[in-house]
Amino acid sequence: MSTVPAPLEDPEQLARFNARIAAGDQLEAGEWLPQQYRFEALRLIQMHANSEIMGALPEREWIPRAPSLARKMALTAKVQDEVGHGMLLYRVAETLGRPREEMYAELVEGRARFHNVFHYPAETWADVAIIQVFVDGAAMQTQGALRSCSYAPYSRVLKRICYEEDFHIQLGLDVWRALAEGTPAQRAMLQDALNRWWTPIIHFFGMPDKVSPHTETMLAWRLKVKSNEELRQQFLRRFVPVILEYGLVVPDPGLRWVEAEQQYAYTEPDWEELKRVGRNGGPKSAERLALRQSFYRQHAWIREALGHRSAAAA
Amino acid sequence: MPAALATITDPAVRAAFREWLLRVADDELTIGHRHAEWTGVGPDIESDVAMSSITQEELGHARLFYEQIAGDEPGGPDLLAFGRPPAEFRNAVLLEQPNGGWEFSIVRLALYEAFEGHRLGLLARCGQEPVAAIASTLGREERYHGLFAATWLERMARPSGDARARVQAALDAAWPYALGFFETTEADQILINAGLVGKSAERQRETWEGMVRPLLEGCGLAIPAAAAALGGRRGLHTPGLAQMHAEMTEVWGSDPEARW
Amino acid sequence: MTSPAVPAASWIRTLEAPADVWAVFLQARRRDAHVYVGDVHAPDAEMALLLAKENYARRDPCVNLWVVPAREIRATAEDAAEMFVPATDKSYRFGGSYRQQQRVYRGGYHTAPTEDDR
Repeated sequence: MSTVPAPLEDPEQLARFNARIAAGDQLEAGEWLPQQYRFEALRLIQMHANSEIMGALPEREWIPRAPSLARKMALTAKVQDEVGHGMLLYRVAETLGRPREEMYAELVEGRARFHNVFHYPAETWADVAIIQVFVDGAAMQTQGALRSCSYAPYSRVLKRICYEEDFHIQLGLDVWRALAEGTPAQRAMLQDALNRWWTPIIHFFGMPDKVSPHTETMLAWRLKVKSNEELRQQFLRRFVPVILEYGLVVPDPGLRWVEAEQQYAYTEPDWEELKRVGRNGGPKSAERLALRQSFYRQHAWIREALGHRSAAAA
Repeated sequence: MPAALATITDPAVRAAFREWLLRVADDELTIGHRHAEWTGVGPDIESDVAMSSITQEELGHARLFYEQIAGDEPGGPDLLAFGRPPAEFRNAVLLEQPNGGWEFSIVRLALYEAFEGHRLGLLARCGQEPVAAIASTLGREERYHGLFAATWLERMARPSGDARARVQAALDAAWPYALGFFETTEADQILINAGLVGKSAERQRETWEGMVRPLLEGCGLAIPAAAAALGGRRGLHTPGLAQMHAEMTEVWGSDPEARW
Repeated sequence: MTSPAVPAASWIRTLEAPADVWAVFLQARRRDAHVYVGDVHAPDAEMALLLAKENYARRDPCVNLWVVPAREIRATAEDAAEMFVPATDKSYRFGGSYRQQQRVYRGGYHTAPTEDDR
């Protein structure tokens, strides 16, 4: 009749752990971690890894159609970096206890999550500019903040990721500039792409944080460093001027700088859309997962052939 | 006139040399375009990243050779890459084939790298600068491409059974097209007579086969007895080129005068 | 002979990595030491080196790479870190300067002595 209680953490060990983090310390792979910390860190990092892998899909559609040899090489290099980030991040997640193969299979079977922005179509060449400047720019805000997170392997990988993302934004601005200063058709293509991507980018930072025990824990454990709203405002401060500088229109007519609050006011987006997309219900979710599944199955015999070799070598 | 061609006084020799450079550039562009399609969907994440680097280098090599051909002509390398119809391409048709499975792409890369490494050696000895100097530096990137192909080929083909059968099927499909690397036109004899190329196409093919045979047979693969599927060096291409060309030129073609 | 109060094994650990994970060490220039830069998944050493080149040396200068199965690495335990921190004045290792000793421990391995220390 009595239920077995869920295993509780040793209160002394937990207290020491919390004290270390409060003192600004970082955890390395292999150290003792509270189960909840391990769960939250893994969820965060796994979603990040998944997002890099899924994020490759919208942009890679434009590699075959890149309109110059230089753009073709640069876009290939950029998507290569994203795939490389996925590699680095899955390894970090692996140190928290899940094999990479398991996480990857979960992703392609549609049972895992990835960031909302990668569920949307890249309809034109100009979408490449928007993704490289604004989507990567948005990701830079969260990634930059988390460089001071409490899990050292993640913190180190984020420093490398931020270093590379900086190059992406520079290249993105070059494509942006070519289009913004180009023909009327190019400018129109760019504005149209910006209009379509605006809401998903605002969504990216998540709803303004609820005051909740969960949020408090994430902040105390430094798995969350800045609030969603802080990061969204940081993004707007950096990137709204870029839009205005080139004489393009901010897609939200309600966006304005509020001097007294030293922040932007903006039209509240539809948060239901974000929830739907987060459950893999976005415009391109099914198609992209199907593409990943198709290649994953196609490559199954290769994994087996190479696994056979490593088993023989062991 | 581009520097690479300017020092050749005989117009027939100059045209033949230009055609040779165009084959190199078109080969690298077509295989680079096809390899670029593996970005993000390779069999494992690390190999995906490595293949991407190979892709970028192939495209970079293409650009270098288009630059040598185009010289100061307006439009530069992009006009050569994007502005010609498929019938003007001089690549071997093996390289324009759709990727197929990873095994086909690896077999193709192995066959191509042996050919390309040898061709760069011939270019390095052609006596025409700056092409000769360029060709001798590219060899170190090609070396990695060859290692990548050989390492992957061995691991896919050595386990007997289903894996090897698939790789064999890929080799059976690729081999006839690979013989097209050595298809000749009037240009080849002109270049030999002018002393720019030191080896006939037939001798080049023998050398190439001497390199790939041990690699393939060492993996337990059998070289098919098949006739060459020719046409690429004469601008006679398979549907693969029209398909990739249409995709490649879609955005550029929407406004060739625009800066992208 | 009495056994030590704390068994030797407790200050050593493995990295507990999967069998197909290889640690990569990169030598930037000829005179540099190899530095750990991260891991790759690969079925064997040759593939690991091949993949390490493009996964870790795309932008960084590199003349040489090492790989080793990550699970072969033996490490000191995290809580053994305190053993490495000196409890007493060892300025005899620093030319007699305690200040130099502290500077090295705060700033790192390559801190050179300054005028103040002479």
